[in-house]
Amino acid sequence: MRYDDGGTAAVTTLVMLPLLLIVLVGVLELGALRAIVYRATAAADLATIVAVSDQDQAELTRTGILRLAPDAADVARDYFARNLSATAPALAASPHEIAETADVASFPSAPTVDPRTGATYDRPTVRLIASVPVKTPAFALLLLPAVTTLTIRSASSPR
Amino acid sequence: MKKRVATLAVLLALLSAEAFAREPVEDDWLPQPPLDPVLDPVAFVVPDGLYYVTDTYVDDVVATSGATTTYSTTTIHESTGTYARVIDTVGTGASSGFDGLAFNGRGALTDGRALAGTYYQNFVLTPDGYVPVSIVFFQDDSETRRHQVASSASPAPAVSPVSANVPGALAAAPQIFDASSPPFSTENPTAPASPTLRAGIALAPDGPTLASAEVLRGRLTNFWPRAFADDRPVAIRSWRLISAQPDHVSASSGSVEPLAAEWIQMPAPGVTWSLQVEIVTELAPLERLAAQITVTVRSPALID
Repeated sequence: MRYDDGGTAAVTTLVMLPLLLIVLVGVLELGALRAIVYRATAAADLATIVAVSDQDQAELTRTGILRLAPDAADVARDYFARNLSATAPALAASPHEIAETADVASFPSAPTVDPRTGATYDRPTVRLIASVPVKTPAFALLLLPAVTTLTIRSASSPR
Repeated sequence: MKKRVATLAVLLALLSAEAFAREPVEDDWLPQPPLDPVLDPVAFVVPDGLYYVTDTYVDDVVATSGATTTYSTTTIHESTGTYARVIDTVGTGASSGFDGLAFNGRGALTDGRALAGTYYQNFVLTPDGYVPVSIVFFQDDSETRRHQVASSASPAPAVSPVSANVPGALAAAPQIFDASSPPFSTENPTAPASPTLRAGIALAPDGPTLASAEVLRGRLTNFWPRAFADDRPVAIRSWRLISAQPDHVSASSGSVEPLAAEWIQMPAPGVTWSLQVEIVTELAPLERLAAQITVTVRSPALID
């Protein structure tokens, strides 16, 4: 008696192929999402560093001590939007909208405690926390949310 | 067959010639000339505390600011290929076994006591090792005239040769000394009726003088030498940079323009940098005022 297992292989393929495709799509989308996280974090880091570099010249002249400029938070917000523009195609909102809704705080005197994070800053600090919505179309194919929101945080001070 | 072999042997014997090649070992039997004795290498002795000199002595400086007279030493940031080490550190009035041996001598306060400072011994590197060539005294002292109180000054300025132990701390610092300029005034105090002069450094032309200032790394900062007579601003005739550690400075001397300085490197932990200038005013052109500002270099950095 002769057995033919060709039908079994076909059935196995039909069952496993969708599963493999789901795993593959998920891995690719997670990788892309990870890249967006790095870019958005770098945008926030550079924005806070630029804001810290913008010092209050009048205060420095008067006391010799570096203090943040009064508009340090606005500077950080502006540069965050500029830096995000390179990643704009992957975002579900415009960089300016993301920057406008970001929580940017300036702590000109130190030491101080960040009321939102609880962190203690021993130098004048600019802190930025932003929610960045990222398009994840592959997740939508898997019946997951089509937009994934990332929360990034950055703080900088002259040390 | 035998005949052919014998013929070939005869031909080889007749046609062979002497090879004019030299036998490599044919002269071995000849007596060899005596070789020069090879001495064992002498241990290379490096004196303790020796370091490569990157700041060279220029001149002794006596600067008067108000009632205080400061005795210091100017150096120039250059390497002459020599080495040095500290051989003695003496306090005010204390004697040293190296007194009289320094080529620049050791000065004294107005009351006759010898100045505080440090003796350095200079070396040059020869095939025979490090050879001492000279001794130099770096004075570092001050006194207040009214009370005749002499005291040891604060730790040696950052431009002293001690700072050569911090690699790169003074790298690329520009030439900031003018050894040809006349020495500082060591004359007696001004007449009681004359105003009290003081000098300082500000960060704006009309800004207050500061003892210290924070600057951002890589940011060009203007330092304005200022002088006051009884706390009233007086015009500055000239200023001259005595010592500094910036990576770039706009000039080593000037008159009405500020000194623009920029730091690229960060100081080593625990190291404080300062700018020292001497100022000549229009009011008292014969008196040189000393001014100093401590500089803290900061760099924007991320916080975890």
